[in-house]
Amino acid sequence: MNRTVLIIGIVIAAAVIALFAMSFGRDPQHIASPLVGRAAPSFALRAVGSGDIVDIAKLRGKPVVLNFWATWCGPCHAEHPVLVQAARALGPDVQFVGVVFSDTEANIASFLRERGEAYPTLLDDNGKTSIAYGVGGVPETFFIDRSGKIVAKYEGPMSGDTLQEYVQKVLR
Amino acid sequence: MLQATKVPDAAQFVGAPQGTPLQGAELATRTVEVAGQLRCPVCQGLSVGDSPSAMAMNMKEQVRELLARGYSRDQILAYFEQSYGEFVLLKPKFRGVNSLVWILPLLALAIGAVLVATKMRRLEQPVPTTAAMDDEYVSRVRQLVEKE
Repeated sequence: MNRTVLIIGIVIAAAVIALFAMSFGRDPQHIASPLVGRAAPSFALRAVGSGDIVDIAKLRGKPVVLNFWATWCGPCHAEHPVLVQAARALGPDVQFVGVVFSDTEANIASFLRERGEAYPTLLDDNGKTSIAYGVGGVPETFFIDRSGKIVAKYEGPMSGDTLQEYVQKVLR
Repeated sequence: MLQATKVPDAAQFVGAPQGTPLQGAELATRTVEVAGQLRCPVCQGLSVGDSPSAMAMNMKEQVRELLARGYSRDQILAYFEQSYGEFVLLKPKFRGVNSLVWILPLLALAIGAVLVATKMRRLEQPVPTTAAMDDEYVSRVRQLVEKE
């Protein structure tokens, strides 16, 4: 009997350890996006400042870097110059687009006036675009290839090197 | 002509509505019910229905709009799942590793029941008499008693 109990105990303990081991080394905050590999949800939103409507469907044929951000997000402040610099360096080869996440037009306009801009930043309607893209925190960046397919998603602020690495994925 | 703004539509993800458009009290009740089954992505373990965050309120508003357009509960949950992954569902689906959430407690209960039943059966068995085990000793004692 004691032997049976011991074996059952070992089996249960091994199963529990195996379950924990499956999650070792994994960031619990990171959730793989089911959108990667699929067509980017379509939208046409108004840009801060110019008021132009940017339609993502009309950007087909050009790789797109789609960045969700907000002025209240500290990491977004750090990432902003990286994105602006890359957008200027890559020029017309890659279209950068920002989407405002839970923020006001006034805050965004003021921020962009102070820190500069190199691509359109769009106003989301009640967060519907953020929801369709599964955004749960900012900054989050989607890399969309020429065919309009989402190739990769990056959560958190990107360094210049990381951005280069991800842009290469949509330039292929 | 100026182009109108357009937000991503649920139809891109889950097709046309398959239910009946709701309104009034039924819409309010169903909104609370469906929002209660979605996890707020920016909160710690709160449902979209319970969270006061702007994100959750936007999601709840979208649930209401979709129900008003005739989307069914399953279609709405599928729509959010296709954007956020299964993480957004507060009740995981019974499949793959998820099924362990249901199976393991039942398995543990079954193992415990078997152990308890086995132990009880042993306790109910009559304790073997020492006489049966040591006849020689008893007969010797009996002899001595009878002799007196």
